[in-house]
Amino acid sequence: MKNGLIKTVINKYAIIFVLFGLVLLFSLLSPYFFTLQNLTNVFVQQSYVIIATIGLSFVMISGGMDLSIGYQMSLVGVVTAILMKNIGLPVPLSILLGLLLGVALGLTNGLAAITLKVHPLIVTLGTMTVYQGISYIASNQSVILNLPPSYKAIGQGYIGGIIPISVILMIIVSIVASFILSKTSFGRYVYALGSNEEAAHLGGINVNKIKLIIFAINGLFAAIASMILFARTGSAASSTGPGTEFSAMTSAVLGGISFKGGEGKVWGIIVGVLILGVLGNGMQLVGLNTYAQFIVKGLVLLAAVGFDTYQKASAQKASIKESTN
Amino acid sequence: MENTTILSLRGITKYYPGVVALNDVSLEFRRGEVHALIGENGAGKSTLIKIISGAIKPDKGLLEINGKQYNSFDPFHAKQNGIEAVYQEFNLVDSLSVAENICFGENNGFLVDFKKMYEKARKIFEEMQVDIDVKAKVRDLSTAQQQLVEIAKSISRNAKILIMDEPSAPLSVSEVRKMFEIVRNLKKNGVTIIYISHRLDELFEISDRVSVLRDGQYIKTLETSRTNPKELISLMVGRELTESFPQKRGTIGATALELKNVCGNGLKDISFTLRKGEILGIAGLVGAGRTELARLIFGADKLISGSVLINGKPVRIHLPVDAINLGIGLIPEDRKRQGCFLEKDVSWNISISNLRSLLKWKTVVDKNKEKSLAEDFYDRLNIKTPTLMQKVKNLSGGNQQKVVLAKTLATNSDIIIFDEPTRGIDVGSKQEIYHLIRDLADQGKAILMISSEMAELIGLSDRILVMYSGRITGEITKEEFSQDRILELASGLN
Repeated sequence: MKNGLIKTVINKYAIIFVLFGLVLLFSLLSPYFFTLQNLTNVFVQQSYVIIATIGLSFVMISGGMDLSIGYQMSLVGVVTAILMKNIGLPVPLSILLGLLLGVALGLTNGLAAITLKVHPLIVTLGTMTVYQGISYIASNQSVILNLPPSYKAIGQGYIGGIIPISVILMIIVSIVASFILSKTSFGRYVYALGSNEEAAHLGGINVNKIKLIIFAINGLFAAIASMILFARTGSAASSTGPGTEFSAMTSAVLGGISFKGGEGKVWGIIVGVLILGVLGNGMQLVGLNTYAQFIVKGLVLLAAVGFDTYQKASAQKASIKESTN
Repeated sequence: MENTTILSLRGITKYYPGVVALNDVSLEFRRGEVHALIGENGAGKSTLIKIISGAIKPDKGLLEINGKQYNSFDPFHAKQNGIEAVYQEFNLVDSLSVAENICFGENNGFLVDFKKMYEKARKIFEEMQVDIDVKAKVRDLSTAQQQLVEIAKSISRNAKILIMDEPSAPLSVSEVRKMFEIVRNLKKNGVTIIYISHRLDELFEISDRVSVLRDGQYIKTLETSRTNPKELISLMVGRELTESFPQKRGTIGATALELKNVCGNGLKDISFTLRKGEILGIAGLVGAGRTELARLIFGADKLISGSVLINGKPVRIHLPVDAINLGIGLIPEDRKRQGCFLEKDVSWNISISNLRSLLKWKTVVDKNKEKSLAEDFYDRLNIKTPTLMQKVKNLSGGNQQKVVLAKTLATNSDIIIFDEPTRGIDVGSKQEIYHLIRDLADQGKAILMISSEMAELIGLSDRILVMYSGRITGEITKEEFSQDRILELASGLN
């Protein structure tokens, strides 16, 4: 029995052990790794990825997928920069409009998925390309330099000189998302959609409405992530943002968000992103180049998925054995 | 020749999680007989045929075919011994031609000789005296034709034992006649037919012997000519039919639900009333439109014309959520696909349709309220689960169904639609569900009960509507209840 309990704990929190293991490994390999400066760096670098991944995870838990978040971020960042620099709107107003644009892009994805009755993977493959086009037309393929300092503070500023603003935003978003998913009725519906959409529909859940809200939330979170990323960069280009969708997807799967939907928790997502972040940072410090990092990250993902499948299969066997005896 | 045993089962036992599907079953099948296998849902028929076809392995017992004993019997052995099966779900490749399907799996070398294949298929159809274009794609055939292709496939593989699982379910009356002719021909050629059906009248027409299973136990094998439906039913149910259904205690009140000339979703001009305290049974064959009717009332499918009235007031139901708000509940026919969330726990499942009443500050699910709701139904429905935190997929079929019932009942509906409420669950849970349905009616709820089980319809309903091909073909009052009358109307004979 006690043995079983330990096994459950290991299975359930395996990714946390993996994260600790990586931290330990790199601490041994590089004297610079386990310093406050470097760990803060990891968090600052990953804060926008965590926010984007949490947004994506709403969609994934409900059984959907969004490939377009990278270009949503690109478009939102570019438009916000244009509003501030070219049109001269005040920074807070520009940010607000940028966030609203994010919601609108998310809603567009949701509406398209509902009306076309096609899997969101395909729908967002389409909208991704559209957003890409709009972003490059809007930016006229050029970089908008010297964003206002009050805007850059989102990505570069510190509160009290110690805690990065981006990390605070990340913590707030994580708490809010975790609250929504685990405590509210809406959160339940998100899981219900992903576990069995037909049963959810017949169980009196307004499936289309919930899907729209989910995509809107995803759009909003992608926009917040975009603000942090563009503010950190300090300039706006259409090529900033794309690629985030794959980091987010990888982290989500690593963090226990099932591709089939219906499962996943916010803490898992954060750990998932941090594993990739620590891997990237640590390998950099050890002196491995970016391309070697790709290989390792890919292998880590495959290992995680393989472990998950194996663990589920053995849990299934155990429960059958239990009920026959 | 007539009486030689071709296949015998000895002491076959099979366990599934939480249930003994087959318990020490011994049975013999003779060469060239039509041997019917009957039993209620969950009696173990499907498990038995899966064992015979090698799809699953028994935990105990052995098979003997043509005098050869097998401890471990797999699909390859089954094929080798000429065991073929026609299941309810056809095993055909839709996008291939009839002939390709018939000759599927034959090793003809590297290149396919289409001419030879068409010739072979044509010859088999000739023997069967059916007329199907061998070059047609399977997806373009009717259900009845697809079944004939399945049978032809078995013949092309030189079937010695042919298992037919509910072969008449998708067929019209004239198509059933045709199928019987083919079965008789096969029999003449020495093929043993294991015939599974819940339609007793068919057994008396086609079978030589009949074996009864109940709750995984072998009960008896009888010569069909020396028994009668009543005896078979009492053997299947294990008691007199009338005893197993709860008596009505409440009274029938005002009209709760009325449909006027409703069309849509394949339904044509449906009108009926359902009153408070009444159990209205809906009978009909597969494809008659019963589930479509339930889905239409519940807002899961679109109504094209006609009107729906609740307590005399016309209502518009666009979505299931509207129906639930108007006090309609649905227990869907397929509990795994439509009813429950298998990966979620019992308590989660029970509360999901009723979260609005469990909220504090209008947004947060109150865990205490949720727990007491779940505990309430755990007691009321006698759900057998170690804890309310158990995932529903780990429960037995009967208990899964109880969770689905709890989920719907939690919404406190006044009109409850049951679509096949006891499909595939054990006899014990069945009894409990019958009592629950009757209790609900006695409390003044209006119940619409769709069922394919004659005994259940006749035993529990206060009135029965029979459907055929999207229409209501008749209404039968309690005094006139009879299996014959229902079957007549269900086959569109009137």
